[in-house]
Amino acid sequence: MYLKRWGAIALLAGGGVLLVSGDAPAKLTREDAQKLKSPVAYSKKSIARGRVIFMQNCTSCHGENGKAEGSLVADATDLTSPQLYKSGTSEGEIFHSVRDGAGDQMPAFKGQLDNETDIWNLVNFIRSLWPEGQRPAVQEDGK
Amino acid sequence: MSENQNREVQKTNASAGAAGEPESRPSRRGLFASLGAGAAAAALVNPGKIFAATTPPIPSIRIPKEVTDTLAEATHVGDFSEKGGITGAEVFAKSCKDEDLAALFCCPGNYQIINAISAAGIPAFGGRSEGSMTSAADGFSRCTGEVTACSGTEGPGFTNMIMNIAVAHRARTPLLVLASNVTIATDDREYFIQTGYQQPTTEGLKKYGKRLIAPDRVHEYAAYAFRNLKTGVPGPVHLDFPGEIYRARFTEASQLKEYYGKEKYRSESRPHPAPKDLAQAVDMINRAERPVIVAGHGVFFRKAWEPLMVAAEKNDIAVVTSGPMRGHFPDEHRLSASLSPDAFMSADLVVFVGQYSMPTKQEWRFNPEAKAIRVNPTGEDLGRNWPLDLGIVSDEAAFLEGLASDLPQKKRDTWVGELASARQKYEKRLLDEYEQGVKHSQATNTVHQAVVCKEVHDFLYKGNIDPKQTVTGWGGWTIGNCGARWLRAYRPGQEVNCPYQYSAVGPDLAMMIGAGAAVQLGVGPQAPYKGAPVLVLTSDAGITYSMFELDTAAKYKIPIVCVVFNNNAWGMWPSAVGTPRSMHMYLFQENLRYDKMAEGLGARGEYVRTQDEFRRALKTSYEVAAKERVSTLINVQALKEFTSGKDYPPGNIINPEPSVGALAH
Repeated sequence: MYLKRWGAIALLAGGGVLLVSGDAPAKLTREDAQKLKSPVAYSKKSIARGRVIFMQNCTSCHGENGKAEGSLVADATDLTSPQLYKSGTSEGEIFHSVRDGAGDQMPAFKGQLDNETDIWNLVNFIRSLWPEGQRPAVQEDGK
Repeated sequence: MSENQNREVQKTNASAGAAGEPESRPSRRGLFASLGAGAAAAALVNPGKIFAATTPPIPSIRIPKEVTDTLAEATHVGDFSEKGGITGAEVFAKSCKDEDLAALFCCPGNYQIINAISAAGIPAFGGRSEGSMTSAADGFSRCTGEVTACSGTEGPGFTNMIMNIAVAHRARTPLLVLASNVTIATDDREYFIQTGYQQPTTEGLKKYGKRLIAPDRVHEYAAYAFRNLKTGVPGPVHLDFPGEIYRARFTEASQLKEYYGKEKYRSESRPHPAPKDLAQAVDMINRAERPVIVAGHGVFFRKAWEPLMVAAEKNDIAVVTSGPMRGHFPDEHRLSASLSPDAFMSADLVVFVGQYSMPTKQEWRFNPEAKAIRVNPTGEDLGRNWPLDLGIVSDEAAFLEGLASDLPQKKRDTWVGELASARQKYEKRLLDEYEQGVKHSQATNTVHQAVVCKEVHDFLYKGNIDPKQTVTGWGGWTIGNCGARWLRAYRPGQEVNCPYQYSAVGPDLAMMIGAGAAVQLGVGPQAPYKGAPVLVLTSDAGITYSMFELDTAAKYKIPIVCVVFNNNAWGMWPSAVGTPRSMHMYLFQENLRYDKMAEGLGARGEYVRTQDEFRRALKTSYEVAAKERVSTLINVQALKEFTSGKDYPPGNIINPEPSVGALAH
């Protein structure tokens, strides 16, 4: 089932497909992931919720500050430096990496984080770790 | 090479080897020399026949008669009135006997001490390496809550114990670490070969330690040891014995300083919660909508599972166990949250009882806004890592008895329903992983970790065996994280979390042999299941460190089913991906035969590549363990790629905490 509870598919002017969803497809290619748009605003509330999820699920490999300075795995990504990301930096690609796993070592978290809104909150928190000039603009809660 | 060809090669190699051969066995060269030319020619025509006719069989592995004979000898506790008096070693052993030291695991060395302890009638086990024996003692304690001891010789024996002492330290195991250490007279001279300063070596790895330097204070320091082992938060105690201590002789008690019994050198008095603290705790729990008790080590060590159950049921409080052992609250209970990690985020009050290794706030899967009560037998750790709304200095049993008495009856149907729903979801997730594992197994003609773990689960808990019977333990990386999700604990001391808090690879098998000894003896919570086999899930990397203890298990008839997930690699092999010239360091030879190695150590070996073969091997191995007290190693051939979710999803999953499989706290 490729399209699982698919919310909306909007045609872009350039002929691409913008995927806006409540639940993302069960299977995603890297290209699909690049087109995914978060249904959760990059807001303080979302970032705060994402931080809680990060602390409970991600710190053993990526560290409390996201810099991956620990020794559990050798090549965990330094989340504070988007130029070092191996599987893409778009919000959809980060979502894809978290939900479905990435590379040889990053496991899929869709079993543990089966609420996709939480994964999007986590994506927002991860982007909040970036250098200031590279972060998205914070939106008002509720938008 | 086929299985039969393999056997032939091994037979040939074994025949050619000299190890274990009786002296009368003729060599091939000698055989020819003794034959006449004609006979030799005839022999060359059919050499196999000649050898078959004249070569005696290779002797079987067997337990020496001295083992069974000496274990049956009468006990002897030293006495001042004996000719020559009593030695320092015997004084110390007498103290251990009076304190009901539960068991000693050792390797030879520190001879006078281990001999005196065993002679005194304390169950003693001699093994193959000091480190493994340390973990065996640790495992015995983790499933009984009792004080155990380990011992090694000075120098290499002692330093061989270090990793395992550290493991016990992180688990707060009441472990008495003993080692000989040359003589006081030769201190600092690098005299002979085994000199070492032991106490600085265990700095940071123990609760208390002392090099004994005054022979007449040997009993006094035994008292120091047991005071520390049996009071407050437990932890390893390390004593090192120079020769002047254990060889000293005493003909009357007055020659020893501070020589009086345990009723005078320590107290069984325990701190009780202040009435106002208990009242506040009762009030906070009663006002909470979704309270959770985290029942840590202290609940187990203080054997406080009954008041825990009464308190939880009286007020419908969820309970999740934590620590290096599981089962002090049963997994199948409607209030157990051990399989409901997704419910924790809605908890509004967390009550830590006897949680000695505290996580930091938000490290665990609780709502950061939840209020917190922490109960600890000593005050100095209250408030560390986790901000408190109420801190209580109290013995765990006393606190839980207070709760059981003072809490009002209350029903929390919504909360209990949420726990059930979260558990259902968790179990569905496990089954989904298993279904994926079946597909991966069938596609590769090997066995995926989820398949191994589901089969073990079904065999131990859903078949003909009493689900409460078998003590299990787990270690390794890929198999450990998966196994922890599938193993269950339905009664105190039923599951040992081998890598708890220190993540050591390797103590698993040794630790479970220690647990197996406790089950054979029927100590503490193991009494109703005395004689049952134990089971350990471990890895090919992990088994390396304590595999030789299968000899120890065989020697003492401690039946264990050891499942080795053989994926040809260290579980951390993905850390080599992407770096040139690295992967070779993470890999082993493929298809190694740990089952054959086990056979060489006097255990049974099983080799499996399919789910059906594993199911059959598990059943046979367990039956043999139960009926004949013979251990089996089941070599389950797998692939290293199962660790990664890239080609074989979901890959290795680190378990949420707290819950089944929690590793870090």
